[in-house]
Amino acid sequence: MENYLPLFGVSLEDIQKIITSALSRGGDYADVFFEYSTSDELTLRDNEVNSVESSADYGAGVQVLKGGRTGYAYSESTAMSDLLRAARTASGIASGEAGNVNVADIKPLEFKNRYPILRNWDEFPLSARRTYLQEFNDRCIAGVPFVSKVICNLAIDDSRIVFCNSEGDFFCDRRPCTTLSVSCILTKGDKTDNITTSRSFRMGSEMLDAALQDELIKEIREKSGFIFEARQPKGGDMPVVMGSGSSGILLHEAIGHAFEADFNRKGVSIFSDRMGKKICSSKINVVDDGTIPANRGSLNVDDEGVIGQKTYMVTRGVLTSYLHDRISAAHYGVAPTGNGRRESFRFNPIPRMRATYMEDGDCTREELIHSVKHGIYVDNFTNGQVEIGAGDFTFYVKSGFLIEDGRLTAPIKDVNIIGNGPEALADIVEVAADSRIDDGAWTCGKDQYCAVSCGMPSVLVKSLTVGGSL
Amino acid sequence: MRPVKSPVAARAVEIALKYGADSARAIVEQNLENSVMVLGSETDRIMSSASCTLFLYLFIDGRYGSFTTNMLREEELCKFIASAVEATKLIARDECRGLPDPALYYRGGGKDLGQYDSRIESLTTDERIAYAKRAAGEVWGKDRRLLSIEVEWGDEIEHSTYADSAGFDGETLQTSYYLSANCSVKGRGEEKPESWWYEGSMFLDSLQSEGCCRTAFERGLESANPKRLKTGSYCTVIENTVSSKMVSPILAALSGGNLQQGNSFLRESLGRKIFGENLTLTDRPHTPGLPGSRYFDDEGVATRDRDIIRNGVVSSYFISPYYSRKMGIPVTVSGPSVLKFEGPSVIQKNELSLSALMQKAGRGILITDFNGGNYNRATGDFSYGVRGFLFEEGRKVHPIREMNVTGNIITLWNNLLAVGNDGRLSSRWMVPSLAFEGVSFSGL
Repeated sequence: MENYLPLFGVSLEDIQKIITSALSRGGDYADVFFEYSTSDELTLRDNEVNSVESSADYGAGVQVLKGGRTGYAYSESTAMSDLLRAARTASGIASGEAGNVNVADIKPLEFKNRYPILRNWDEFPLSARRTYLQEFNDRCIAGVPFVSKVICNLAIDDSRIVFCNSEGDFFCDRRPCTTLSVSCILTKGDKTDNITTSRSFRMGSEMLDAALQDELIKEIREKSGFIFEARQPKGGDMPVVMGSGSSGILLHEAIGHAFEADFNRKGVSIFSDRMGKKICSSKINVVDDGTIPANRGSLNVDDEGVIGQKTYMVTRGVLTSYLHDRISAAHYGVAPTGNGRRESFRFNPIPRMRATYMEDGDCTREELIHSVKHGIYVDNFTNGQVEIGAGDFTFYVKSGFLIEDGRLTAPIKDVNIIGNGPEALADIVEVAADSRIDDGAWTCGKDQYCAVSCGMPSVLVKSLTVGGSL
Repeated sequence: MRPVKSPVAARAVEIALKYGADSARAIVEQNLENSVMVLGSETDRIMSSASCTLFLYLFIDGRYGSFTTNMLREEELCKFIASAVEATKLIARDECRGLPDPALYYRGGGKDLGQYDSRIESLTTDERIAYAKRAAGEVWGKDRRLLSIEVEWGDEIEHSTYADSAGFDGETLQTSYYLSANCSVKGRGEEKPESWWYEGSMFLDSLQSEGCCRTAFERGLESANPKRLKTGSYCTVIENTVSSKMVSPILAALSGGNLQQGNSFLRESLGRKIFGENLTLTDRPHTPGLPGSRYFDDEGVATRDRDIIRNGVVSSYFISPYYSRKMGIPVTVSGPSVLKFEGPSVIQKNELSLSALMQKAGRGILITDFNGGNYNRATGDFSYGVRGFLFEEGRKVHPIREMNVTGNIITLWNNLLAVGNDGRLSSRWMVPSLAFEGVSFSGL
């Protein structure tokens, strides 16, 4: 990985001075996180690429830990005087005198780059990107029934990171993230509706190929097929078959947040006392993974200097690990799991998910549908939420189908589904062998925004509360 | 330290014109923010931040770009703007882009809106910790049913400097203080229901810090051991803490961006009676002492009192200069500032507002929080998870769990029963508690 120290105008000796200052009032641990992030966006609207946006964000944050407590300050300048001021502010979480502060010798971390850029954006300049969006728009308008307008946004995010902590861990990382988001307005007579979709990867311009256009247009065509016939279904408790891929939002909301160890350290999570216990069917393994190549949620190294890894949260139905940052790992006496993440240098790291998914089961999607007499099938979602303590979670279904006598029948749309995390997990009675990661632009909003992804095989949940008409 | 007008805004406009922009607008936002978090009785987190960000909008030969940076030294700024100008030149023309007609600008002369408290300049970290610990001490360690409490104190100075090449020159300055409490209490089995309370104010002296944590704890206790209700049609009262959830879809549907794209359930609604006679919603942007008050929007367009909906008739869209040109209708303002419900449906007794609404509704569901959900911008269909209580004869009977409220925004507002008069100063729009009848809830 390229050395980004010159970008921030600091040396390793400077960084050691900052850390020494950060620990000067008796902190146990300190780190400094430098970040230079850029974002370049193009938007197509009304059939033309007529808006360009760019942003640059630059600065460094200093974190000091004292026991389970955090001191944090940041500076938008990387002049030593400003960085030392931030370090002194963060040091205030401790209130003593450190005596001699010993900062470990710096040792660069070695890691595999899971998101190399295969084609730089210089090789696919703004004019080429504009043509790509224009082609996509024209293909959508011409090829998908009822599409009257397309809004298409290409966002190219790129972050360069330098990190060092008081244990001497040092790394530089470049984190690309490219997102293509599409919103289509569909019109049929006097009826109007909308469809959204997206793809997001830690990739360079190699992401923008013809296959991606084909895939998105196919998805929009499929979603548009039933949109004007779809209705909000009759509400109430019923079995729900969740299709593979984006149904991973169930895992993210129903159990993923409850496994984030800060909620457990504080005794807030409904899973606080269940480590090592059976919480669901032995057919179920749930993973949070930072190692999937080019995945939106992947991290070579987390924001506290812990190498990216794959963490089994549930193994054969047993809760086997929470998701840890350094604070919670120390609290539980375990190794950090590489989940210490932050939105930017303006925020302190906290435990966050990466790519959260369930591994394959042993039946087929069709078998799941055939087993339901009256229920719904859902596979298209927009958002979700959870109440960590009570365990109640929700997710919003953009489209799906009724299941009647084991067959998909009338299309449905725009309903919220609500359930209780531990109960819903225990209510997953069958798991299909079609697990798939959804590559949409999922963003988690737990205090700070963080890029994540999710995945799932098709599963049958015995009972969830479906919003709907009377 | 009180921020002063930033010279960077005018300088950025100057550089942009020099590099080839036909016109430009710049906003520099400076924020000074401090917060402390107390977990139980211990300080858990101290944060301090200062940021300064430039937002630059360029118009070049009918082309448009928007750019943001916090790298504001002269050399960095010149490089950034030169690159921004070049990028803007590469996209398609959109002749509707441009600065507003200067006749629409705010020209000054308004009275001070009373949004700045200089006490913030001398506030220390120790004082912040003391405020948070004093608040937590109201309840922490005094009742075994309280499992966890997180108290956050925060204060912020927000200063913005505006400049554009047509001569607009403006400045806004606002302080805010807040105290929030998040509790976990003992519930049924292993459940640990969470509850929260939040107080906010632009002035330290008027921040209602006393009682904040007690309120959060009591709300947690009364929400423990909830029951599910049968699916059915109920009256509902939506508490002032979350009632904006049912207002924001209307405001979004009236915005130029959604209307022009056809992605609005209120398209072609201007001047038409869409809602019930009892709904009148206005914008009162010059009300002193409120956080949303302002004399001009982000483009410098002067704000003024206006009806949004009067007796059910849609009276205004939110039309910026761009969407005005795009849609061929007059500019209004880009969005609302201070919402105010008016008319006979508004209950007048402030202190009795919530119970008065429940009394008026008879039996139904009081919504105190939403859990997820969403709505369809094109159709207005919505479905949200809810927390709250079953109420009868104006009093809470028991808490509810795992229920969804589902319907259509237009239908919902046509079933408006009454509007409270209890908008919270801590929320920007100050939407009061609302009561509706005939609303679909799904549960058992």
